[in-house]
Amino acid sequence: MSSISQADLDSMNDSSKKEIANFLDAENSKQRVQMQIHDFTNSCFKNCVSSITSPELSTQEEQCLNSCVNRFLDANIRIVQNLQNVQ
Amino acid sequence: MGLGSFFGGNKSTVTDNNSQTTISNDPTSQRVKAQIQQELAVANATELVNNVSKNCFEKCLMAPYSQPNDPCIDQCLAKYMRSWNVISKTYVARIQNASTTGEI
Repeated sequence: MSSISQADLDSMNDSSKKEIANFLDAENSKQRVQMQIHDFTNSCFKNCVSSITSPELSTQEEQCLNSCVNRFLDANIRIVQNLQNVQ
Repeated sequence: MGLGSFFGGNKSTVTDNNSQTTISNDPTSQRVKAQIQQELAVANATELVNNVSKNCFEKCLMAPYSQPNDPCIDQCLAKYMRSWNVISKTYVARIQNASTTGEI
C-alpha cells in the first residue's frame, strides 16, 4: 500500500482538511455500528446456534438471533434509564 | 468477492444522510480517504476471521483435537455469515426506528 507523504499532507488546503474531518466523522460512526454488529454476532451466535448440521439457519435460530439483539438493546436502554433516575 | 470488497464496498447502511460531504478533486484527500477505507476494511475482515475462528473451533472441534472436522467448519462459517446478516439487518432497523421516534 502506498503511504502518503508528509509533504502531501502538509500541502492540503483548509477545505480538503475539512473534507477529511467530515469523512472521518462519518466513517467513525459507521465503524461503531460495524463493531457493535461484530460483538452481537459473536455473542448471539454462541447462545443461539447450538448444533452445526447444515449451512442454513433454522427458523428458531434466526428468531433467537433477532430476539438476542432486541433484548440486549432493551436491557441497555433500561439500564441507562435506571442509572439516570438514580442521579 | 474478496474480504476487502465485503467490508470496503462503502455501502453505507446508516448515517449517510449528511450529504453535505463536499467532494473535492484534491488528489491527496482522495488518497487519504481511500487509504482509511482500505484500513477499515482490513480491520473488519480481521475481526470477522478471528471471531469465526473462535466460534467454529469451539463448536466443531473437541479435545484432544486428533481429528479435523472440515465439513463442520465450512457449515459453521456459512451459518456465521448468515447470522451476521440477520443481526446486521435487525440492528440497523432498530437504530433507524429509534432515530425516527426520537428514542436516541
